[in-house]
Amino acid sequence: MNRKMRSLHRSLGAIVAVFVLMLASTGILLNHTSDLDLDKRYLTWGWIMAHYGIGTVEPDAVYLLDRHTISQFGPQVFIDATPATQSHVPVLGGIVIDDLMVLATQDALLLFTPEGEFIEQMGESVGIPSSIQNIGLFHGDPVVQTRNGQWRSDFMLDQWEQLSMDGVGWSEPQAMPASLEEELGHYFRGKGISVERVILDVHNGHILGKYGIWFADLLGAFLVLISMTGLWLWARRRG
Amino acid sequence: MIKYRYTLRAFVIIGLILSSITVFARGVYQTDQDFLAETFNQAVPKSKVVWVKGELAATITEILGHKYSGLRIRYWKNEQRSVWILEEIGKEKPITFGIVIVGNKIEKIKVLAFRESRGGEIRHPAFTQQFEQAALDKLKLDRHIDGVSGATLSVRAMTDVAILALYLDEFTDENIKD
Repeated sequence: MNRKMRSLHRSLGAIVAVFVLMLASTGILLNHTSDLDLDKRYLTWGWIMAHYGIGTVEPDAVYLLDRHTISQFGPQVFIDATPATQSHVPVLGGIVIDDLMVLATQDALLLFTPEGEFIEQMGESVGIPSSIQNIGLFHGDPVVQTRNGQWRSDFMLDQWEQLSMDGVGWSEPQAMPASLEEELGHYFRGKGISVERVILDVHNGHILGKYGIWFADLLGAFLVLISMTGLWLWARRRG
Repeated sequence: MIKYRYTLRAFVIIGLILSSITVFARGVYQTDQDFLAETFNQAVPKSKVVWVKGELAATITEILGHKYSGLRIRYWKNEQRSVWILEEIGKEKPITFGIVIVGNKIEKIKVLAFRESRGGEIRHPAFTQQFEQAALDKLKLDRHIDGVSGATLSVRAMTDVAILALYLDEFTDENIKD
């Protein structure tokens, strides 16, 4: 019995030692967060960003207009890497007419200056055809494809006539340019995850998510066991 | 035991009803064009725009507490009334308001679309009636608007938009000639 207890005590000791070392070292680091600037240093490793749920963000749609890239992430519409406006419905395409960038959604046109500043949203109340499916250009005039046919307007966008046209240059989705993808990545990820946050999560087990709590419980149980086996061995020796 | 079970069921049913009320609070209550057609008795005038720049932009920022999202604001006006369809964020999402102004006073304010999960009570006529005949008094309303519990931000959005519409109405009267 004595030998078995000693063997159990040693095994538990080896396991617990690893985690006590980890707890002690992370605890010491956390005690000196300010001295070591751990709250001002950031990690941007792909796997750690993904672990914290801020990994790669995929755009819902990308269109290239003139020298600008239009992208939509959820309700947020970006012109290049700058948030320009919000649309709670998908952007279906875009065109450039005169000094306007025009994006189409199913029920409205979103107007921007050439610099990407949002002007206004024009909807059915100002004569924009409903149920838009795409937007394009026909001999320089704006055209929308709707569920009820094709409509053409001029640069004022307030008078639309239904026509059937061949050879419309329809707006088509594009791939996100790599350089912009990186820039937008910075926007979504911010500076990254602070070293302090990662060390704290390692210290309290939250780095393992919901399993971290169970893991901490198991470690606690081991500590109780090792204490009890230690006390038992000590008592036996004294006895 | 049976009594407890019935009580539990009653709570679940009440909870479901309350949550469905919250869900139904979201939605489009009236489209912009229906609101315009109703207000102008089907004879909707051609829309006009006011550009948000210079002193006007600064005043709008003062009213809303933030920069207006957009470079121009569209409105509809005939001899009697002007209509403004404006959006303002309550807590997280934009609320669309339709405001009718007659003689520099609010004739009607209506929530046309509500996208937030809470605060939809502001659409009820019992609340919106408070704004009727309200006028501008140094970039504020000339009256106190009673709040709605749990809808503070939506009430604030509606109040700000009411002030903005009154201000824009005055501004266009003075600065934009037909």
